[in-house]
Amino acid sequence: MARTVLICDDALFMRTMLADILKGAGFEVVGEAQTGAEAVKQYKQLQPDLVTMDIVMPDMGGIDAVRAIVKEHPQARILMCSAMGQQALVIEAIQAGARDFVVKPFQPSRVLEAVQRVLG
Amino acid sequence: MDLRRFVDLYAAETHENIRLLQRSLVELEIDAPADAVAEAFRAAHTLKGISAAMGYGAAADMAHHLEDRLDALRAGTVAADRDIVEALLAAADELEDAIAEAIRIGPTAPGDDAAAADASASRTAPAAPAPAGTALVAHVRLRPDAPIKSARGALIVRALAAVPGVLGSDPEEFGDDFDGRLRVFLAASADSAAAEAAIRSAGEVETVEMAAPAASPAVAPAGNVETQAAQSRQVRVDAVRLDGLADGLGEMSVLYARLQRIGVPTQAGDIVDRLGTVLGELDHEMRALRMVPVREVFERLPRVVRDAARSVGRDVELVLEGDDVEMDRSILEEMGEPLVHLLRNAVDHGIETAEERRAAGKPPRGRIRVSAERERGSVRIVMEDDGRGVSTEAVAAKARTAGVYAREEPPATDEELFRLMSMPGLSTRDEVSSMSGRGVGMDAVVHRVRALGGAIDMRTRPGSGTTFRMRLPITLAVAQALRVRVGGEDYAIPLTHVSEAVELDGGSDDVLTVRSHTVPLVRLRRVLRVEADGQEAAAVIAEIGDRRAALAVDELVGREQILVRTFDAVTGMLPFFSGATLLADGRPALVLDPLSMI
Repeated sequence: MARTVLICDDALFMRTMLADILKGAGFEVVGEAQTGAEAVKQYKQLQPDLVTMDIVMPDMGGIDAVRAIVKEHPQARILMCSAMGQQALVIEAIQAGARDFVVKPFQPSRVLEAVQRVLG
Repeated sequence: MDLRRFVDLYAAETHENIRLLQRSLVELEIDAPADAVAEAFRAAHTLKGISAAMGYGAAADMAHHLEDRLDALRAGTVAADRDIVEALLAAADELEDAIAEAIRIGPTAPGDDAAAADASASRTAPAAPAPAGTALVAHVRLRPDAPIKSARGALIVRALAAVPGVLGSDPEEFGDDFDGRLRVFLAASADSAAAEAAIRSAGEVETVEMAAPAASPAVAPAGNVETQAAQSRQVRVDAVRLDGLADGLGEMSVLYARLQRIGVPTQAGDIVDRLGTVLGELDHEMRALRMVPVREVFERLPRVVRDAARSVGRDVELVLEGDDVEMDRSILEEMGEPLVHLLRNAVDHGIETAEERRAAGKPPRGRIRVSAERERGSVRIVMEDDGRGVSTEAVAAKARTAGVYAREEPPATDEELFRLMSMPGLSTRDEVSSMSGRGVGMDAVVHRVRALGGAIDMRTRPGSGTTFRMRLPITLAVAQALRVRVGGEDYAIPLTHVSEAVELDGGSDDVLTVRSHTVPLVRLRRVLRVEADGQEAAAVIAEIGDRRAALAVDELVGREQILVRTFDAVTGMLPFFSGATLLADGRPALVLDPLSMI
């Protein structure tokens, strides 16, 4: 059975790109969220194997979403998607419970390596 | 992690630094300037760092040794005498070999010098002491290209939280200045394999090396940040790709010329015009891309002169000028060998011993000057020595023995002398010396220069020295040429060698008077053995150095851009061609080498 993923990013371009990379690696994209609040809600419903989480999103940012998700689902496997220059935020997200991170612009190989680590 | 993709970058950067190292060492020997020591030290330091980063332990160790010895020089505890410099140069050579070997076979474990390497690294960045009870230190290095290393460091520390016996890390917290290297302190009770697994699970980890607390493996220096920043706007490109691009662009230019020749329908006129403009701009950019300063070859020369001078016991000073003049990389690379040969020749046979020089009223130290200068569409490289000059008698005697010279008297002019010297297999010395006699004679030098579309001549004055002047095209890919017709066939003559073209009004003289100067008339019909009927109606005046000749042709077709492709001449082919090209109408044509006819 294909592993499931929930993609959270307010930019369609980023969601499309990530979906593309992950589908290529055999994932099934079960949900897409554009805000942190949506991400928390969808996680509860979908219980995906993996979540990719943008840091800066409207209506609850990615870090708060990580906190909210991990609080209820400590086993959640969340991969942060960060831009260059967001060092401090990435570290904060890790402390909040994110398992790993990738940096935009995405290199498919790096994304897949990170996914492997998060799921492994 | 896969470091192989950094190999090209590593090769290029080590190449630069080895050259820098060698050049500084040679300068050091001459008058030991402090900045030469500093420069050599920096080069060795960089070589150590990047070799260690690639996991090339042996090369890193060698560079480290070199760095230590240079440090002693820098501190003034050792004086830079000849023997020291000699030893350092030998060590630099060994290092160069080790680097080549490392590139060939790939990473190895760090050598026995690991502990010493760390001692030197810690001079620049004092490391925090290991906490009490530390039995083992894991030296962790992230991949150099890992993004947001600080966050990665945080992941490592978090992963280690689950491993018993981990006492702490240095650094403990990760700021923006974290360079990707950290140490993890393990108690004797810790499971080092579990610790390593935890560290690696954080991702982007390049190496984990376990060592006792006092000793630690070689680490990459953090000193490269500035260079990296400066290079961030630069991209290194494989030269082969650049050549491919240049070839493609050259072919497009020729296709464009063909398009114009066919005639374009009016509605496409604007497009074709624009195409021409864009091609012109692209060509300009491409030329600029292929340009490199002659320094890349010049900086090898001091070492060549030094070694040659030492082996024959001469004292020679080399003066380099115009090393920032730029020319096409491929031409420059091709010129390295001929330049080295000419230099060795100058040292071996041109420069006299100090006693001879004193007796002749010259300064005891010989002097060779190599200069580069931009000259219209070409680069002029001049090599001048103040030695004894070429002995016309010796050359003539040698040529007689070889059976290529029959006259009693020696050659009367420098041109004639040089032509004799450039005959295959002719050498003015009886024995081939170890330095200049590596199977490359003057004939090879002349051949190479000509194959590149350049020209070379020589002047020599008995007792006061010899000068070689080379004129080389700045770019190779696309050349301007004059298209001529002889006996129904089209030929291209590179414009670099053409001074003008004149009409011919018949006659069968072997000379032509142009602006009250008499020049020999070379009838291409005769030279190329053309039998078809036709009339010689024009002459192209070719000029190389002081030599001029008029080449009689049937017709001047016009000026064209051509893309010259050199070829290996077929046996039995007339020796007057330097290459072949496709003309604007798509017809192939041979490129005439006027030098071979003058």
